[in-house]
Amino acid sequence: MDPSEIHNFEDQWKKGFDEASETPPPSVWAGIEARLDREEDDIIPLWWRSPKLWYAAASIAALLLVGGGLWLSNRSGISDKTGVEMAAKTASSTAEEKVNRKESADPAVKKQESTELIASDHSTKGSVSGTEKSTAFTKQPDHKPLGNSVGTSETLIATGKQLATRNNADRSLAVSGNERISRQSGLSPEIKTIASEENISPAKTDFNPNKAVAVSRENKIQVDLLEPNQYSDLDVYMQKRYVFFKADQKAEEPLPAPKKHTEYYAAVGLMPASFNPDVKIKAAPLAFSQMASSRQKAVTGTSEAGNSYAIQTQGGMRLSKHWSMEMGLNYLKGNSRYEGGGYLLDATSSASSNVLESALSGISTNQDYTTGKNQQIVGSNAFYIDVNKKVNNDYQYLQLPVQAGFTLNPDKKLSYSVLGGMMANFFLNNQLESASGETITTTADDGVYRGMNWAATTGLRLNYRLSSKWKANLTGSYQKAVSSGFKANQSLESHPYLYGVSWGFRYSF
Amino acid sequence: MTFNEQELVNGCKQRNRFSQKQLYDVFGGKLFAICMRYTKNRSDAEDVLQDAFIKIYENISSFRNDSPLEYWLKSIVVNTALNHLRQQKYLKDLDDIEVYENGIADREITLGDFQMQQLMGFIQELPPGCQVIFNLYAIEGYQHNEIAQKLGISEGTSKSQYSRARGILQQKLNREKRFDDGSVRNTQL
Repeated sequence: MDPSEIHNFEDQWKKGFDEASETPPPSVWAGIEARLDREEDDIIPLWWRSPKLWYAAASIAALLLVGGGLWLSNRSGISDKTGVEMAAKTASSTAEEKVNRKESADPAVKKQESTELIASDHSTKGSVSGTEKSTAFTKQPDHKPLGNSVGTSETLIATGKQLATRNNADRSLAVSGNERISRQSGLSPEIKTIASEENISPAKTDFNPNKAVAVSRENKIQVDLLEPNQYSDLDVYMQKRYVFFKADQKAEEPLPAPKKHTEYYAAVGLMPASFNPDVKIKAAPLAFSQMASSRQKAVTGTSEAGNSYAIQTQGGMRLSKHWSMEMGLNYLKGNSRYEGGGYLLDATSSASSNVLESALSGISTNQDYTTGKNQQIVGSNAFYIDVNKKVNNDYQYLQLPVQAGFTLNPDKKLSYSVLGGMMANFFLNNQLESASGETITTTADDGVYRGMNWAATTGLRLNYRLSSKWKANLTGSYQKAVSSGFKANQSLESHPYLYGVSWGFRYSF
Repeated sequence: MTFNEQELVNGCKQRNRFSQKQLYDVFGGKLFAICMRYTKNRSDAEDVLQDAFIKIYENISSFRNDSPLEYWLKSIVVNTALNHLRQQKYLKDLDDIEVYENGIADREITLGDFQMQQLMGFIQELPPGCQVIFNLYAIEGYQHNEIAQKLGISEGTSKSQYSRARGILQQKLNREKRFDDGSVRNTQL
């Protein structure tokens, strides 16, 4: 490295490590080699699909067949030769005896001689027939080599001639065989002769011991000439080829898989909110409506939002880089006030009832509810007092929101999520301040409010990442009921809505 | 060592063991140095090198001569090292981090003053995320957006991790340099 030429930090490192080399230990190559060997063992060679290998195998089989045949022939030739030689020896000894006995000119000896001759004739006959058979065995499979091998054919011709001269009577048979073969294959006259000789039946052949000796000698030469090279000595040139088959071609190294975005999280939060039940009296109770008509004044009031809060828990799943889905379970304490409408005072019982109280009592299906604190005041003793008094009207709900979220800058320290979804509001109770100052509690069992009503919800959430697992959230929410909080076809209507800002923490798993 | 690259590749394509060994002998040292840079210790580096060479031999048939062989081999080794780190969960939580302030002014330090083993040690001592991103950016020459795509992180994360790595390395270089220099031996770091 030349420091004068390098000023850049990265360049220095790059240049420093560009040619860096570290000798790996020998065990690394040993491991690689072992794995390569293992993989090669798993590869199945498709040698049977190679025609060249088939040709090579066929050639080897043919060579083995020919070689084996020649070897067998050689073996039988040797045994025959031994037999012939023994026969020849017997014949020659017999001839010598014959000469000696001729010299003695003893007719008894002649008789014995003829007997021995017959015996030797018989024994030699078998040998000759064996020789002929072996010759036939050797020659029969391949006429072509015989035709091509002059020496062999000549020897065989000689043998054939020798044999052919043995018996003129058999010539007719030989000729007929010769003709048959020549018709069939069109072989050369010499080979025809051999073929004809092959057809000679040994049973019909006379045997002469001298001829047998001659045959034995000729046969020995013949066997020597026919003796093949051992197939292992032959120059066989073979090309060894392996075709490697890979069942599954491995694909190129894929790029590293992108980071998975699926993650689960849980969150808790507290939301100060502004809750307005937005109660509207569509048809005022009878006593109030009468007053309204007589005084020409509306007897309905309006709801005002009060300071409320919600405790929120959420469980969510990040579906992709930007999208997430979450569910929650919230408790909402919605405080509000109801103002206007005046109230009725019963002159005899001094009982009083405001317009909302009276309306609720009028629609309840629960007898206990209507005969209790909020008993409806009707009749001529009732006086209407036109006072705009604010009464508390507080609700409690259990909320189950399901929201989808789209997050901007999800991997940044500060990210933003836009939320939207639906929320099931389960009504728990409502506490209404009566005209007398007492609190009337209405529950879901009183048949006034719907047990569950739907609300749409939307919001914007700011996420601040505290660590890889923890985030702090600030969520602005707006919820609006899409159905009335009261039971259908009634004189009251309510579409609560809520604005709130939630603070919370989120933990990612 | 003189060798014919084309013949070497052809030999490896035919699974010639001699060619495979020759390829290993020629490039093994350089590739092992890369493995060392991406891992924390020699043993892990050996594992990565072994896996990388198996992949090289298996995929050499896909190598075309349109790029230098060494570049192709290096890219396989780098990818194998990244996979190894991913399996070891080293790359799981790569977050944005504050820019690392080392509080020490950069001095005129050249890497020529250091041994290669020392520098390798500095890199190996980096936090895993910093180590990978430093290697990819400073030495391999990838851009931050490419690194972000490769590792599945944001570009900002890549930049901040690199910045931190650079800070740590500068601090190490400065410290080593000061200790080597007797006049500032007592300087409080």
